[in-house]
Amino acid sequence: MQWAGALRMQSVDSLLPGDLPRQFANRDEMAAILRQLFPEAPGGLSPMQGGRRAAEKALAGIDPAAYGRNRNHLGGAVTRLSPHIRHGVLSLVEVREAVFDWLERSKQPKAAAQKLISELGWRDYWQRLWRQLGDGIWRDQEPLKTGHSSASYAAELPADLLSAHTGLACMDGFASELILTGWLHNHARMWLAAYVVHWRRIQWQVGARWFLQHLLDGDPASNNLSWQWVASSFSSKPYVFNRENLERFSSGRFCRDCALAGAGCPFEASYEQLQADLFPGAGPC
Amino acid sequence: MLRPVLWIHDEALGPTNPSLVAHREAPALFVFDRELIETQRLSLKRLGFLYESLLELPVTLRHGDVAQEVLSFASRHGADGVVTSAGVDPRFGLLREQIAAHLPVQVLEPEPFVVLPEPVDLRRFSRYWRRAEPVLWGRGSAAAPPAPARLWDR
Repeated sequence: MQWAGALRMQSVDSLLPGDLPRQFANRDEMAAILRQLFPEAPGGLSPMQGGRRAAEKALAGIDPAAYGRNRNHLGGAVTRLSPHIRHGVLSLVEVREAVFDWLERSKQPKAAAQKLISELGWRDYWQRLWRQLGDGIWRDQEPLKTGHSSASYAAELPADLLSAHTGLACMDGFASELILTGWLHNHARMWLAAYVVHWRRIQWQVGARWFLQHLLDGDPASNNLSWQWVASSFSSKPYVFNRENLERFSSGRFCRDCALAGAGCPFEASYEQLQADLFPGAGPC
Repeated sequence: MLRPVLWIHDEALGPTNPSLVAHREAPALFVFDRELIETQRLSLKRLGFLYESLLELPVTLRHGDVAQEVLSFASRHGADGVVTSAGVDPRFGLLREQIAAHLPVQVLEPEPFVVLPEPVDLRRFSRYWRRAEPVLWGRGSAAAPPAPARLWDR
């Protein structure tokens, strides 16, 4: 798409005092300027690059059929379009049309693209809810179904989680990736969120703020309502996982090197056992 | 509005931004929202990603108080109003009102992902999707296949 030329021929007028620079020799130089401008912003740049060119490249590389088959695996064919969609670098309409074009080109049945189209639907759904709820996305949409009162959840993230030193290879891996890259696979987000809310008993809002600080696609509606879904204030029961589930969808990459793999893994249990341990006061689901 | 400036915000940094499409020659501005960045403690990764996205758009970049910066930019260009694209974030509405207290603001809607004939119950995704999916697939000839549950759907 020759959007830059087609869209606007006008160039940006010359810089006045207070205008931010638009020319950099490289990313490091840009990062240095950003540190001067925003000294309070922690960390460095993400390896994921922003911009329309990067977005178009990612869009050209989508494989909706593979996405439909294996997207729940950490190594699956996920699109990584979310940061570009979140900031409107790509519109949802453009992505929808790219998927339909792929269907035509590939001559595959509609079912091959169904999951990816549905995922775009999730994005649209969250945005519609945000319009409806406004800042209400920060409040419990429904009572928790965990048997614990809202007041029993901690209001701060513990230091071991913030520094990715919980001792759990999976959770430390996810926390590091979040902090260093600003992107996490959706399944990893769910696991990490469930760990924070249910195993560490921390308010979902605290976890949601943490994600928004770091995620390049950090969108308060998608983010907060997904946290609420995990917490059970926007779903009929809390979301939990066990080791078998995590090991399967991560191809065992964390458990292999985890010091707690042999004994002491808090996720090593049946769903019934986890339900009884984590939510002893909850009613039957 | 004869001589508008464009206020570009972080929900529409692409070529389909309706204000950029409607006013190809108008000066455009993006403001890094200092208050938001500080209160949310946004990481440098997020700011860098935004910055890189903005470097591929023909916009002037500033940082500080958004409404003040947009109004100064309008004055710098002798503008008689501000055109922008619709934003979902409630903060967008707040900033728009601050600007509109001094200059006319026109808000353009982007093309919707799906147009639903009537309001839908948004309490669960499944209720929305039951209405939206047939409309989306209705552009082709055959009906959509039945929807399997999302991994964490209950």
